[in-house]
Amino acid sequence: MELPLLSVLDTVRDLGWSGAVELFRNGLALGSLYALIALGYTMVYGILKLLNFAHGDVYMVGAFIGFGVLNAFGGSPSPTIAILPLIVLMFLVAMLGAGALGVVIERFAYRPLRSSSRLTVLITALGVSFFLQNSMLLLFGAQFRSYQSFQLGSDNPAAFEPGPLVEPLFTIGGVSFQRIQIAVLATSVALMVALTLLVAKTTLGKAMRATAYDHEAAAMMGIDVNRVIAATFFIGSVLAGAAGVMFGLMFSQINHFMGFYAGLKGFTAAVVGGIGSIPGAMLGGLLVGLVESYAQGYLGGQWSDIAVFAILIIVLLVRPTGLLGARAIQKV
Amino acid sequence: MEKTGHQPRVYAALGGLLSALLAVAAVLGATATRSAAAPAAADSAAITCGNRVSIGFAAPVTGPAGPLGQQMQRWGKFAETRWNRAHRLDIRLVLGDTQLPDTAQAVRVAENLASNQQILAVVGPAGSQEVEVSTAPFRRGGVANISGTATATALTTSGKRRGFFFRTVPNDDQQAARAVAYMRRTLRASRVVVVDAQNSYSVGLSDSVQRLLRAAGASVQRESVNEATVTDFSSLVTRIPDDTQVVYVPWQLAAKAQQFGEQLRASGRNATLFGGDGLYSPDDFKLPGSHVTAFPVALGNPTIRAYQRGPGRGSSDLFGLPSYVAVEVAARAVEKACANGEATRAEVRRFINRTNIPKAQSLLGFPIRFQQRVKRPLGPGDMRTPATYIVYRINANGQFVKVG
Repeated sequence: MELPLLSVLDTVRDLGWSGAVELFRNGLALGSLYALIALGYTMVYGILKLLNFAHGDVYMVGAFIGFGVLNAFGGSPSPTIAILPLIVLMFLVAMLGAGALGVVIERFAYRPLRSSSRLTVLITALGVSFFLQNSMLLLFGAQFRSYQSFQLGSDNPAAFEPGPLVEPLFTIGGVSFQRIQIAVLATSVALMVALTLLVAKTTLGKAMRATAYDHEAAAMMGIDVNRVIAATFFIGSVLAGAAGVMFGLMFSQINHFMGFYAGLKGFTAAVVGGIGSIPGAMLGGLLVGLVESYAQGYLGGQWSDIAVFAILIIVLLVRPTGLLGARAIQKV
Repeated sequence: MEKTGHQPRVYAALGGLLSALLAVAAVLGATATRSAAAPAAADSAAITCGNRVSIGFAAPVTGPAGPLGQQMQRWGKFAETRWNRAHRLDIRLVLGDTQLPDTAQAVRVAENLASNQQILAVVGPAGSQEVEVSTAPFRRGGVANISGTATATALTTSGKRRGFFFRTVPNDDQQAARAVAYMRRTLRASRVVVVDAQNSYSVGLSDSVQRLLRAAGASVQRESVNEATVTDFSSLVTRIPDDTQVVYVPWQLAAKAQQFGEQLRASGRNATLFGGDGLYSPDDFKLPGSHVTAFPVALGNPTIRAYQRGPGRGSSDLFGLPSYVAVEVAARAVEKACANGEATRAEVRRFINRTNIPKAQSLLGFPIRFQQRVKRPLGPGDMRTPATYIVYRINANGQFVKVG
């Protein structure tokens, strides 16, 4: 019988450097999506100490809104307007739509329960998740919807020629980097930088940090806590909406159930990075994406989830606050 | 003295205990034998048929396999509507959502359907693993179940479900033999990657294909991925050697296979994608040059066209088509059992077993009759030959063309 370790070493040797770079590229692209989702979890947790399990479903709704915009302009592979403005429009509408949904969820599901126990709000979050998931099931059915991003804008879609999104932008060590992969990575980084600047440099960011630190004290200092919390939900959901469209553009197939697993991975990323920490969410997302990619590449598909959740367990054992999480100071 | 005085009482007590244990064991044994060998009185309880009778319908209409379950449900409801339009005795489908891969839910659904005395037969469940776990409740209730999708060979060849389980889809061994013969003879494939989707259907079919390919001298690399949960197949693509000729993907979610195929193409690999009947879905799987094995359905059939115009909303949803046939088989048996105004589950089982739908009336392209005994690769409840698979190739326009 072959030892698993030898089999892994064989695979590492067979895939070589180009395989390692390819897995790195895949992990980075996937991880940046997880990071965007993780940011929503971490922002809401940071400010309300609430695990918003409906966040993955907001991401799913964002993907559907992007799909709706794509179809409103003729759909893939031959939309009626140029691809670049179309994609920008998809992002804008999906981000605004998801943001509005986040505000509605906060206003009607969570705000009335703000003084209730955390368990009550947690169960409500799960309820909202199922509500969104099954609403989409009723509205759009269970079948997959395809962005057909492989052929989007293709000169000859009938012959299944790839469109510009999957064309290689550059090649490193024999591994080509597709335009969509680079675009997703760049957009994710831009959104993360924008969020970091917003939290660190703006008045709203200062209010968010103050509210996260102490609701009552923030309110006494004249901060409209309700508005800050609503803004937090809006921003977190905007990022989820963007991630939904990125997912559709990169992987094509969306359905009502996609938010469940993505939400689970995003949540894992937030916890690994240190829930409540924005840089931690980014780091956690990238780490989860890379671990998943390398585990799938070197160990096989059966191992990818095991590896991801093993990392979660190890991080929690070694550093319970997550990689970049800060230990809360207790008033005694 | 004391010792001898106590001994008879001790022996008497031990003897009594032993007798009691034997009696309990005998009762338990008798009960167990009865429940394994024959259903309880449930199958001989007659119900009055009236104008309408109930048939259970177990399918995963929500959850990860929802896209498949909803296809089955649409075809099932379509069969119900058409049957009721053409017959005096109406049927009513009672839906149970099995939420595949949650087998515990499949057991609950089976128990609910079996305990509803108005239900005379059940269509479904979908997955082979669901059939495995729901056999006991269905047997206890004496109710026959007919699956249009469960293909694991052992479900019938084990002989354990004789007279209770039937299927309107050929089994894995039949399909694997067909796929391997085509791969070897026509595609001349000697380097194949087999990717199972980590579910009962896919693993069973992958095992059969892998075994037959290796026996035929081909080099086989086995991979595994959860089609329901994985959204990015790029790392799986990385594992596929550049010189691979065929990638065999016996998956059920055609949209996911399409995505995998697109990622394979985008990576520059030119291997031919080869799917099982789960990918016989022209609306979702349309990667040119790919192949699938499927049963010989005449796409121009008026019933399929009517479905496309009606509940299919332009789609043919072919994965769900055998469930239509399963409803038809159940309805025919129930109608015969109700000829005298009353029916029992035992009668319905007998009539299902004697099903004989001629080729001209069969949507599957061959007559539908059930095998009575184990004759590998068939077992009792399988459709008798010529129930077999044919090979389709997807042309440049995304159309399925029969090639073998």
